[in-house]
Amino acid sequence: MERYLNTPIKEIISKFPKVGEILEAYEIGCVPCTVGSCLLKDIIEVHNLSEEDEKEVMARIARVIYPDKVIPIPQVPRKSKARSKEIKYSPPTKKLVDEHVLIKRWIALIPQLLERLDVDSSEDREILFKGIDFIRSYADKFHHAKEEDILFKYFDESSDILRTMLDDHTKGRSHVRALAEAVEKRDKQGIIEHLNAYRELLTEHIKKEDEILYPWMDRNLSVTQVGELYSKFGEVDEISGNGVTERCRALIIETEEKFEKPKKEVRP
Amino acid sequence: MKEFAGCPSSRTFDFREKATQEEAPTAKVQSQLRQWPIQLHLVAPTAPYYQGADVLLTADCVAYALGNYHTDYLKGKSIAIACPKLDEGQDVYVEKIKSWFDDAKINTLTVLIMQVPCCMGLVQLAKQALENSKRKVPLKAVVVGLKGEILSEDWI
Repeated sequence: MERYLNTPIKEIISKFPKVGEILEAYEIGCVPCTVGSCLLKDIIEVHNLSEEDEKEVMARIARVIYPDKVIPIPQVPRKSKARSKEIKYSPPTKKLVDEHVLIKRWIALIPQLLERLDVDSSEDREILFKGIDFIRSYADKFHHAKEEDILFKYFDESSDILRTMLDDHTKGRSHVRALAEAVEKRDKQGIIEHLNAYRELLTEHIKKEDEILYPWMDRNLSVTQVGELYSKFGEVDEISGNGVTERCRALIIETEEKFEKPKKEVRP
Repeated sequence: MKEFAGCPSSRTFDFREKATQEEAPTAKVQSQLRQWPIQLHLVAPTAPYYQGADVLLTADCVAYALGNYHTDYLKGKSIAIACPKLDEGQDVYVEKIKSWFDDAKINTLTVLIMQVPCCMGLVQLAKQALENSKRKVPLKAVVVGLKGEILSEDWI
């Protein structure tokens, strides 16, 4: 069993698909992950299951891998106490969770936008261009930059968990680039494809950060590091944040209001 | 005998059996105190050891209950102690804590209190000072049980 603790999860799941189902039952979503290089022991540690759940999940996995043998269940070393049900963030990670709220509001508008999409309508193209500007200036330049330039530097950036998050950022940027090109070309299929892909990617990415990554980071940051991060995030907010946040919040409200009203008559 | 009905902070408990059963460390524990004075009425909030520091505001009883206070909490930090139940002039406390935030520009403030309800007053003083201050700083509350166990440790 020790050997499998040090094996990438994708390898385990492709050999024993049942393991993926077991992890799903404990809200550990490794099956849809496209990277899958995290080691089983790191997955158990990062998700910070309660001691009972950890014993149970390890025993179930062991029964799948070794159906004919009774083997000792190893305990994954922990750096902190098992989680309580309620997630409590440190002040700097709380800032990032709060920023996700505005991003989620924009993501929530995508289905309505696609439903009414008319590539020849200047109003719809304007909504798309403003949406792209929102993603680039708020979600990416302001929010993701806080993560990449500040928060992630406190951790091993070559670790599987951070590589997965950085990979999501890269994929998100590439969808936005492709989306901008599709809007320029009035390519409806391209717009639908990349907006939907971005929505799915970011929805999953935000969930991973809010529920797994940030709580794990909080458990590993020292009090001094929490203070430093809070202060560095405060500097970013002061230099570029306030203007960007206000402008982007206004854009979301404007788009939400627009979608509540019937669409204007469009003349070709 | 009538059940105790007074303030939980002065209710009598006897832990002698537990204290003698558990082995105390034999090696000498090095003090992690880096400053003097420590009582909140006596300290100057802008003293050099508070500048940019991680500060512990510790209720008087905590260091007696918490066996590893020096190594687990005090190490690398600056400190002040106070009792929110017995100390007078607590408006001065609020001003001093506010001065840590605004003038000494401390990095973080951790308030360590006992589980008794009156101790929560120390966290309230810190929250009030933070609300009054221009500069915002991460504030953490650690609640210590009567037998020295950590009951909770949360950012506020």
